[in-house]
Amino acid sequence: MDRTNRIKLAAVGVAVLAAVVASVEFLAMRNYRETVILGPSVSEVRKLSQYEPSLSGTPNDVNIYIMDSGKPGGTVMVLGGTHPEEPVGPIAAHILVENARLEAGRLVVVTRANRSASLYSRNGEAYPNFFRVKTDWGEKKWRLGDRGGSPLDSWPDPEVYVHWPSHQMLAYMDIRNLNRTWPGRADGLLTERTTFGLMNFIRQEKVDMLIDLHEAELEYPVENTIVAHEKAQEIAAMASMMLTAQEFAVPIGMEFSPKALHGLSHREVGDYSEAMSILFEVAEPMLDRIRGVTDESLLMEGKDDFVVEAGKHGLLYAPMDEKGWPIEVRVGRHLSTILQCIDIFSMMTPDRSVTVSGVPRYAEVIEKGPGAFLKDPAQAEKIAQD
Amino acid sequence: MFAHAYTILAAVVVVFLLAKTLRLSTELSMLASTVAGGVWHVFAWPGSGLRIFVPDNSLLRHIVEGMFTYFDVCLIFISATFFMTLVKESGGVAFIVRRIVKTFRTRRVVCLLLLTLVMLIPGALTGSGATAVLTVGALVGTVLSAMGVDDTRRTAAIFMTAAMSAAAPPINLWAMMAAAGANLPYVGFNGPLVVLSVAGAVFSMFWLAGGGKTADEEEAMKNLPMPPEGINGIRVAAPFVFLAALLLAGRVWPFDFPVIGLPMIFALSSLVVILCSGVRLKVWEILTRTVRNLLPLVGIMVVVGALIQILALSGVRGLISLKVVILPLSTLFATLFVILPVSEGILQYAVAPLLGVPLIMLFNMKGMDAIVALSAMSVLWPLGDCLPPTAVVGRAAVMELDFRGRYFGDFVKACLVPMAFVALCCTLFLIYSKQLSFLAF
Repeated sequence: MDRTNRIKLAAVGVAVLAAVVASVEFLAMRNYRETVILGPSVSEVRKLSQYEPSLSGTPNDVNIYIMDSGKPGGTVMVLGGTHPEEPVGPIAAHILVENARLEAGRLVVVTRANRSASLYSRNGEAYPNFFRVKTDWGEKKWRLGDRGGSPLDSWPDPEVYVHWPSHQMLAYMDIRNLNRTWPGRADGLLTERTTFGLMNFIRQEKVDMLIDLHEAELEYPVENTIVAHEKAQEIAAMASMMLTAQEFAVPIGMEFSPKALHGLSHREVGDYSEAMSILFEVAEPMLDRIRGVTDESLLMEGKDDFVVEAGKHGLLYAPMDEKGWPIEVRVGRHLSTILQCIDIFSMMTPDRSVTVSGVPRYAEVIEKGPGAFLKDPAQAEKIAQD
Repeated sequence: MFAHAYTILAAVVVVFLLAKTLRLSTELSMLASTVAGGVWHVFAWPGSGLRIFVPDNSLLRHIVEGMFTYFDVCLIFISATFFMTLVKESGGVAFIVRRIVKTFRTRRVVCLLLLTLVMLIPGALTGSGATAVLTVGALVGTVLSAMGVDDTRRTAAIFMTAAMSAAAPPINLWAMMAAAGANLPYVGFNGPLVVLSVAGAVFSMFWLAGGGKTADEEEAMKNLPMPPEGINGIRVAAPFVFLAALLLAGRVWPFDFPVIGLPMIFALSSLVVILCSGVRLKVWEILTRTVRNLLPLVGIMVVVGALIQILALSGVRGLISLKVVILPLSTLFATLFVILPVSEGILQYAVAPLLGVPLIMLFNMKGMDAIVALSAMSVLWPLGDCLPPTAVVGRAAVMELDFRGRYFGDFVKACLVPMAFVALCCTLFLIYSKQLSFLAF
């Protein structure tokens, strides 16, 4: 064998080794199942394929956790995991499922709205595959994932994504972005069918208010805010005022859902169903392109020297110092905002009221950490997996 | 963290230069620098818990994952080149070239305008300058040659018009990727993009090819290959009509036409070429030759993806972005026409989310029109497609037109004046974005 062929053979060997090691990690992420402990009020776990049959057998046949008080009232739905790279959504959703006690009406939670997007990591971003929350009984582990669905589940993308039904042109990869595909299409690609199924659920189950949980980079102007459809503006405005005055160190704002920007939950769910739709944003430094080292510490602690430096130059829409935006602050803000919006909704529509207890608010989450509200699977009577 | 990122950046640059000194190819040099930067990061930043081999959190996973960043782009390059090579081998190119020379040789202005339009269409529809070069570049280049344009100027003309075609609407990948990253809808870009890209393409074509002599039909025909017997306009046009129909169908009937992707569109169009060809094509040989010819291009794209992932992992990407966005606005206006093409040469499309998103946010904060400003940036980026280390479109132009001159001394030098024109227009659009916001309809 001549020298060139030996070099080629060695190169193939190195490539195979790299592929094997990487494949083990890719498969570990794709096959990992997140355990959800079914809390005291969970009366039923449905599959999204009940509302869009074509989702059966796909990664997006997600669990829908229904907490029913058995007493008359309205229905509030919370979506976590619309964008899996924003981990507060799934964490807050788990805390709701595991702790909420329903005293009136129904609370519906989806922990992984676009599960396909949580099964792989975004090329080029160097995200960690998993993140962990410390608890008294050990660590609870989640997949991190990408903003859009996995190309393994939805490929190829079109040249340009034309949104249904507005015909608005969007970036091609947004056809896998759950928060660009509302209200969805029955004969669309996987993510479009996912939102179609969710819309069917919202209409058939007469959801009164949809809450979509998000995080945003500090360079993004829609930050630490509630984005509200016209139907939910009063609730969002009141929640913003009360939370800012009574609970949060950093104020939470309120913004109107733009009428010309299509595909987003806060616009389309409000337009195509009876539900009010609102979306929460909280600061997540790991999403900033100007971030430093990308690892799990940054994701959970939210501390980054580069983002602090950008703040000194007035480039950020949220305050940023050496304390950063730790996970307990982010989870606490979302939980308090959910509870506040439900309270205001119930106050404004007493015949459709939803009463929830057992869910920690901002101060309690900061004091004890989110892990204090995540149950031990070994002690659980009923579990489900996402 | 700053010291760590600077150190990794230095390691990446030093290893790249060292590898080049040892006469390794650009692709291998970049791979060596990627691995070096990654390994250094693993040992210098133990807090991440990253290991080189151990599955769960390994450096190898990041390198492999990064290598797939431009997987789709690589497939498009290969399938588009395969399509065009089949057209060439079937005699279609020779037929079209002869017809164009025969019809337009005495009407130079009309001929150049039509050739510019032919160059603009494929890139405008796909967002890829390389696709423009690979599909129509050789054809237009041959016509220019017959019109008396020398090798250097016609290669430069093909590159510049291909670069502008990639920037032309409706598909501008840089604008789309940056807009997506900034949650800005990809709407309203057609106006500013069409003004800038068409102006740039027309200026480039006339500057580079406007001054040639009128082609001598007899001489030109003598130098052009004879198409095979039995070939006719319908047979030659059928694959292009089919390609255009598939490209347009997804836009005209987006909710009824299946999403098959550009690689499949080119593959199906290739089938039509084979069916319509007047000669028996050696398909397997053409396919393997196409892949072999494109290996350097594909290799660059694969390794660039890995490099970007390691830069993001170690904080170097953030450092570069930060240093760009904290520049004063006046400095940005005075330097973006250099920064953007140079960064495109290094990072390709990845530069749009890397620099584009923070810049859009900065422009928003400063009260500029984000759509006009991003459009201007998105026309500046493709100018860098002839710059190293990637030089994807430049290399493709040189390869397709069989250019034998010096890459920088002749080809890039010939592009400088048209580039300066485009850079000037884009910089004016940046500065006066607010006043030009009426274009973003």
